[in-house]
Amino acid sequence: MYTGPLTYFDIISTEWNYVIAVLIGIAFGYIMEASGFSSSRKLVGVFYGYDFAVIRVFFTASIVSIIGLLYMSYFGWIDYSVLYVHPTFLYSALFGGIVMGLGFIIGGFCPGTSICAVAIGKIDGWVFTIGLFVGIFIFSYIFPYVGEIFYGGDMGHIQISEYFGISNELFALIFTVLAVIVFYITTLIRRRVKHVRY
Amino acid sequence: MSKRYILLAILLLGSAFGLLMFPETKSDAKVSPTDLLMEINDPARFLETDHIAQRLIEGDPGLFLIDVRSLYEYEEYSIPGSVNIPQEELLLDQWKDYIDQEDMDIVFYSNGDVYADQAWMLTTQSGSKNLYVMKGGLNEWFRTIMKPEKPGEMDPTEVYDLYSFRKGASIFFGGSAQEVPALNDDNAPKKKKVVVKKKKKKAAEGGC
Amino acid sequence: MKFWQKNTRHTYWNPYFGGFMLGLLLIATFYITGRGVGATGASKSAVITTVEAVAPTFASGSSFYKKYYDEEKNPMKNWLVFETIGILAGAFLSGALSGRVRFRIQHPPKITPKKRLIIAALGGILFGIGSQIARGCTSGAALSGSSMLSLGGFITMFSIFGTAYLFAYFFRKLWI
Repeated sequence: MYTGPLTYFDIISTEWNYVIAVLIGIAFGYIMEASGFSSSRKLVGVFYGYDFAVIRVFFTASIVSIIGLLYMSYFGWIDYSVLYVHPTFLYSALFGGIVMGLGFIIGGFCPGTSICAVAIGKIDGWVFTIGLFVGIFIFSYIFPYVGEIFYGGDMGHIQISEYFGISNELFALIFTVLAVIVFYITTLIRRRVKHVRY
Repeated sequence: MSKRYILLAILLLGSAFGLLMFPETKSDAKVSPTDLLMEINDPARFLETDHIAQRLIEGDPGLFLIDVRSLYEYEEYSIPGSVNIPQEELLLDQWKDYIDQEDMDIVFYSNGDVYADQAWMLTTQSGSKNLYVMKGGLNEWFRTIMKPEKPGEMDPTEVYDLYSFRKGASIFFGGSAQEVPALNDDNAPKKKKVVVKKKKKKAAEGGC
Repeated sequence: MKFWQKNTRHTYWNPYFGGFMLGLLLIATFYITGRGVGATGASKSAVITTVEAVAPTFASGSSFYKKYYDEEKNPMKNWLVFETIGILAGAFLSGALSGRVRFRIQHPPKITPKKRLIIAALGGILFGIGSQIARGCTSGAALSGSSMLSLGGFITMFSIFGTAYLFAYFFRKLWI
């Protein structure tokens, strides 16, 4: 018998939803800040080779959660089939990613990290967050014109393993191997690049 | 690079590799009596007629209805899209591919829900998954979907919402209770009636 | 010197440890709620609420606001808003424990604070637009999406990092 997700099986009632949301948020914020994600100079270091914290944290988190969820599903603790799979809209994912990539290299934050920067009093984080609001506001104007991109290439709630026709477990292994190789390369690059103090 | 990192990398790769080592087919094993008892006590196997009607109207491909009554009764009346597998034939090899699968939700129904429930127990014990029973069977189906009862004037709006959904569903399934609006223009293509039922809100909305 | 006065401003967690903790948090989030974490959802709710309060006629005419207005009667009462309040509190806690909390503009030595603020705003605007197009940002789409092996999550992830790497050369004057 599955027990998770807890709210899905009504083990935790919906009144607790917001309490849980705050608790998860606290843990999320704490981990990001403690990993140095409130500093834009540390974040963009990944693109200039002087600090690879972003890639290391991101890929480790990704692998741990992929493998962990598969194990939990295997032991019957969590019903994998009801978990939310982010839907794939090919064009919007690609195009949105490009715009966000530009925003990242120019602004030096992403939304989650800018909230961390706001919390510890970084003025540039405040400004970035205000920019974020403005960006969402601008999007509401251009929304009618980007419908084709927004709704184009709809592939539903598809998983990448399904797309390549392999099992989830095999994909997890391939991804882990790739990540370990990337981690190794980052240490090699780190040695060659001039260290930046910030 | 320190030894610690090499060790951690090996640990990570090992746990990912471990996933592949698991035997994949667990479904062959028969369900143990304790698990069966737990599942029998779990009322989640009963699906409401409204829920089933809703999914049929939406054309949900993940729903598979099995009529466990006799062929004679099946031919007399059956829910559109259902397949007839009489109860005594359920465990025959020819139906194995239908019942022992993971992609669809199988719903058993009979006139009441006693025979359907027996069918559910037989198939659950042989290890099949995603099995359900239509609550109340065809009797309930007729009472709620085909001939819905008009709510009283003092009833809350939810009851009215449910009623209007059922009325629409009744037309969709060709029930007799409703006055079907006649099409004036004979040449006009027959419009498919779209019935929308309000979905329950999920806990977390929005993507990021 | 007391331990809280010790200069820990530049000591962050080991990134692999941070990643491991973040991974565990994601698993816990999926275990409890069946969904991942997010960060832009709350900003979206805030924008929608503000626009509806300030210019209700505009809001009801625009398809973007209509889409959310119909779905959710009160966008501020959203799961992600509460989560964001948590992020603020958690980040403040971590920053306070390491003595990192103070008002300042962090800027690379070759960039004036004013210029830093301008490019931060520009980056924020781009990120705001991009996150709405892609239905999520780095946390919601890329991180939570990839935990569940979502194809879109991986595409967004590689699209963000790929673009940033491609353009890193042109914007190097801003950072090093």
